[in-house]
Amino acid sequence: MTPFEHRPDPELGALLRAALEPSDHAGFVARVVAAVEHRDAPTVDVLARWARVGIAAAVLAAVAAGLALHRSTSAAAVDDALTGAEAGAVFAARTPDASVVLASWPER
Amino acid sequence: MKQLDDAALAARARSGDRAAFGALVERFAPQARRVARAVLEDPDDADDAAQDAFLAALTKLDQYDPGRPFGPWLLRIVANAAADRRRRRKVRRTEPLDLELAGGGGMPDATTERRLLGERLRAALAEIPERRRLAVVLFDVEGYSHAEIAELLGIPEGTARSEVFHARRRLREILGDAWRREP
Repeated sequence: MTPFEHRPDPELGALLRAALEPSDHAGFVARVVAAVEHRDAPTVDVLARWARVGIAAAVLAAVAAGLALHRSTSAAAVDDALTGAEAGAVFAARTPDASVVLASWPER
Repeated sequence: MKQLDDAALAARARSGDRAAFGALVERFAPQARRVARAVLEDPDDADDAAQDAFLAALTKLDQYDPGRPFGPWLLRIVANAAADRRRRRKVRRTEPLDLELAGGGGMPDATTERRLLGERLRAALAEIPERRRLAVVLFDVEGYSHAEIAELLGIPEGTARSEVFHARRRLREILGDAWRREP
């Protein structure tokens, strides 16, 4: 048989096969199957863990963000309100004149 | 499960049947490992690449055409996985075996002779360009046709023939007397 031969060379094939033949077939198959299971299982576990932790974290974050937003909004509103005539009205020793306070709102 | 053909097993594996996937691994592991070893000289690297390829094949099963043979489809993934691993890890090429040393010395018994011939062959394969190596292994070891090899390697059929031819010729040159055959 020459290198030009268009059929497989059984002798060369046998030599190459022997040279490349892997060992421990069962071990390799078990290893691949285990890798598939390992790949599948942790995904579910991790997702489950993340779901629990994530939901708790998201709730906490939402509460914290809500509180922070509420505080900053309230503070800003008070700051805005405590300017000019309204401040005087709020901190005046005497009862404020309602017309002063209400008359300033449409200007904003 | 063992009686099912490749396409049926692939269909089951695709639908989540892990036993069917295991049967495919059982069926194609020897081929896959040999082909990976043709690319990566190190057997452990080759097994890692073959495993990567099986896992990749599992996720790509929806791309497999059940009307076509499963083997070439899988081996293409194996060849790519092995080539990727070779590039990515800059796999240290084992120092080419000293062919004189491997071939000579004393009167080896049959087992030693086979082992030495195996080493000479692996060293000879390492001297051949990757695609050529794959082509000759797929043709002479795995029994694929030139057309299948062409499709598997993404090259024209004439090129596949040429690669097999040049690989055989080079192997004969390198192995010399070990082959004990005239070209």
